Amino acid sequence: MAAVATLVVVLVLFLTPYIWIILTSIKSRLDALADVPVWTFTPTFDHYPKIFIDKDYLPLVWNSLIVAIFSTVLSLIFGVPAAYVFARFEFPGKEDLFFFFLTTRMAPPISIVVPMFMLFSVLGLTDKPIAVILAHTTFNVSLVVWMMRGFFADIPREIDEAAMMDGHTRGGTFLRVLLPMAAPGLAATAVLCFILSWNEFLYAFILVAFEGRTLTVGIPGLITPHGTLWGQVAAVAVVATLPILFFTFLVQKHLVRGLTFGAVKG
Amino acid sequence: MTRVLDHGVAPLLLIPSVILLLVILVGPFFYMVWTGFTDLHYALPGRDGAFVGFDNFRRLMQDDPIFWHSFLLTLKFVFWVVLVEFIFGFALAMLLFHYIKQHRFILTMLLVPMMLAPIAVGLIWKLLLSGDFGMFTYYMRMIGIFDQQTSVLGNASLVMPAIMMIDVWQWTPFVTLVMLAGLLSLPKEPFEAAVMDGARPVQVFKDVTLPLMRPIIALVLLLRGIDAFKEFDKVFILTGGGPGISTEMLSIYTFRINFKDWDLSYGAVCAFMVYLVVLIMCSVFYKAVYWNQGRSKPTQAVTS
Amino acid sequence: MKNSTITGRFCRSSIVGAALAVFTLGSADAIAWSLEEAAAPYKGATIRTVGEALPPLEAMNKLKSEFEKRTGIEVVIEMYEHSEAVNKVMLDLNSKRGRYDFILQPHRELGRFVTNGHLEALEKYMSNEKLRDPSFNPEKQLYQSLWKEISWYEGKVYGFPFTALTMYMWYRDDLLNDPKEKSGFKAKYGYELKPASNWQEYTDISEWFHRPDEGFYGTALQGKRHEALWYEWLNFLYSFGGDMLDTKSGSECGPVIVNSPEAVASLEYYKSLMAYSPADTLNYTWDDVMALMQQGKVYQMIMWNDATYAVAEDHEASTVAGKMGFDIVPQGDGGKIGQVEGWTYLVPAYSKNQEAAYLFIQWMMEESQQLNQHLNGGATARPDVYAHPDVQKISYSKASMDTNAVAKSKPTIPESPQITDILVRELSGYMSDAKSAQEALDASAVEISKLLGSCAPMKYPVQ
Repeated sequence: MAAVATLVVVLVLFLTPYIWIILTSIKSRLDALADVPVWTFTPTFDHYPKIFIDKDYLPLVWNSLIVAIFSTVLSLIFGVPAAYVFARFEFPGKEDLFFFFLTTRMAPPISIVVPMFMLFSVLGLTDKPIAVILAHTTFNVSLVVWMMRGFFADIPREIDEAAMMDGHTRGGTFLRVLLPMAAPGLAATAVLCFILSWNEFLYAFILVAFEGRTLTVGIPGLITPHGTLWGQVAAVAVVATLPILFFTFLVQKHLVRGLTFGAVKG
Repeated sequence: MTRVLDHGVAPLLLIPSVILLLVILVGPFFYMVWTGFTDLHYALPGRDGAFVGFDNFRRLMQDDPIFWHSFLLTLKFVFWVVLVEFIFGFALAMLLFHYIKQHRFILTMLLVPMMLAPIAVGLIWKLLLSGDFGMFTYYMRMIGIFDQQTSVLGNASLVMPAIMMIDVWQWTPFVTLVMLAGLLSLPKEPFEAAVMDGARPVQVFKDVTLPLMRPIIALVLLLRGIDAFKEFDKVFILTGGGPGISTEMLSIYTFRINFKDWDLSYGAVCAFMVYLVVLIMCSVFYKAVYWNQGRSKPTQAVTS
Repeated sequence: MKNSTITGRFCRSSIVGAALAVFTLGSADAIAWSLEEAAAPYKGATIRTVGEALPPLEAMNKLKSEFEKRTGIEVVIEMYEHSEAVNKVMLDLNSKRGRYDFILQPHRELGRFVTNGHLEALEKYMSNEKLRDPSFNPEKQLYQSLWKEISWYEGKVYGFPFTALTMYMWYRDDLLNDPKEKSGFKAKYGYELKPASNWQEYTDISEWFHRPDEGFYGTALQGKRHEALWYEWLNFLYSFGGDMLDTKSGSECGPVIVNSPEAVASLEYYKSLMAYSPADTLNYTWDDVMALMQQGKVYQMIMWNDATYAVAEDHEASTVAGKMGFDIVPQGDGGKIGQVEGWTYLVPAYSKNQEAAYLFIQWMMEESQQLNQHLNGGATARPDVYAHPDVQKISYSKASMDTNAVAKSKPTIPESPQITDILVRELSGYMSDAKSAQEALDASAVEISKLLGSCAPMKYPVQ
């Protein structure tokens, strides 16, 4: 049918560029730089060890991992209780505070990064990954608050009431009843935080020291000095992106909620 | 239901996150605003942060045609990419909704462009658009759209359309995803009623689908608008703002003032302007999507 | 009489005695100074530096282990891409945290650092007997003009040249000597094919070798909106007899002459070469054109001495290794010229290990380290290294030496990087057809004059 044909064309358009870079990462130098695009070739996996081991890019993967994991954990610790409050309680200025969280999520990094750097200098933290972790937490906390508010709100209040009638305290209800029920949402939120932190560029670029560079920060540096080594450059791009795709598929169901600030349930 | 007893205790749980944000984000933000009123400059001597009132703002308003060029360029970019992404994304969502059963599976594949790190997207397209060995330029030449001597990234009139095209490639899936989720959540009754009244598909679309989708449409337009306005990573790695100033978007310009000229006080004013526009867009977004003030269940917005 | 004789003898013997004392003391010093002793108080320290990730720094990274073994001082080297290396230093210096014990920076940043009080003048270390190696004599051992322009500011020494960079002409020697090319060229243009000595020849030769259907180009311009564009154009500007400011040395301020008729002519000529360059030429920096030459796609171009090794000598990276020829940039009305450029060792005022850093720098400036670094892709400022037989054998040594001898200084005042930025933007605008050469240079002149203030009036006011 015409619909299927259109769809196939669309899929080809959207996926080909990414497939191309994956192919480039396993092409020999000549194949990668050929004037005429090469689609069939003998693959080589040389580029991966060359860039990650010989040129020492492996620590960057580790750094990205550290930053992403810690900022996610921190965001959850700060954000989940806050989301619970928004979901279950009323107080004056509540929606204004919620809007405040929105603006922190939307703040353009370029507007904040310089004074943030100065702050971290004064605190003596510019050499350490904690600077980037905190910077990422600033936008991830809001994400957690927005997403988890929706997930908590989905749980009917009757559950709370039933739990408390059973003798749980408010805190107990939260910890032992609501949290487990919201676990899938929690997992999705955590993964989304991880993805956003892993993919982030500007904060990591400005705030991080040499040893703490993340993978995204390592990318611009590749384009110039190793200009002809597209195989290696492509290998870095693949490693920087493939894991994220895997995680994306895990949280697919809740992706819409996370990306639309809970406005759409998806 | 409010618990009067807990009224005092519960909001305390918010305090840690608020403090975190105040210290790491808001504090520096106000410091930046303050810097805009000083003469701080890292490179030129003797400019260590003395108060200069509105000098920097005056410079922005009267003396900086490049800032306004950047501003307009960014607005143009936002307008076009949001429009194109909306049309394509909506069309694709309708296609999937009406004709494809396994849309979940297809959607999974479509998500690829938007989940890649934006800096990696820039890198991928730098390779594809290369004049010497870029796959995209090769096929464009083969089809005849480009000729042998055409360069994309080196050509001031082609480079901005190219960046827009990349953005469309990257974010149309997002629009599709959200619109599809919206379509799926629509109630069936209005559609059934319309069909029983003998309405044709186009009329159904105009009179039933669109009005019901209005909140989602607003949401998508605003979210994309805000993110497009902030665009940085792709342009940074593809062109750095060139050739000339043809891709000098606002974030790139602000970056340049801060990190090449080191004119931190003027850079603060530019950064503030970027923030201001985003803030305004956020407010519009918030009001349009969560139009019921005081609602505690934002997830109800769609089905209201 | 008797008194004077005795006094005389006393005087004489005192003088002899004193001379002997000085001699023995002096030679005792000369014999006694050793790196190990000088470094003893700093043993166990770690010194950290930062620079551009290119062969000279990689060479230093390999050499440092000998220093570490002899002194017990650890040396950590951070390598970044060009603009990141500059950024990180600027942020560190302004935060005054002293992360780096010495730094390597482009010499154009010198004015900024000095005027903001970020650097330590090295005089006090050079005159410190405990630290100064008596055999180290920069006044005699370095090209003075290069040392003064790269590492001095307003009469004070702040460092030594890490690399003395310059640009000259690269061309394919194998094609130049090809009989078919020679006869064909002579038939068409009426003179022998040779390295271009003026700009008309450069155009003719570029035209002759421009064969886009075969994937071969006459030349390649570094036309991206990037410093590379400005550096490349400077060769043309100087060669046509122009300049940016009318000054004698880099640390002076003077009248703005960047929009002189010579400058406009040089810019228009520069753009005319686009006709013989690849399509993407406005997206190229030095790395891209270097890659093109390595792949054997271009006949000639104006490029850097520190990129030459990877093209001319490195058989693994380059398909044209061993086939290259080099010469000084073609001459226009400005005669034989080159440009002074370099990265310099500098010691931040906030460094906590200044003495240890000085010892390392001094050690790196010794002939054997300089020779080693130069042979591994470096660009030394020591004439004795250039005269060394191993260096003489390198194909581009002569062009380097010739160009170093006629190199012109460029501004190192605090506003220097901003001047570059203004010009890069305007030049890029011209190259992409947004404005005419006159307009681009006039706009630059106006902005530069405003930036520098009253010490830099416009010599060619805009009508």
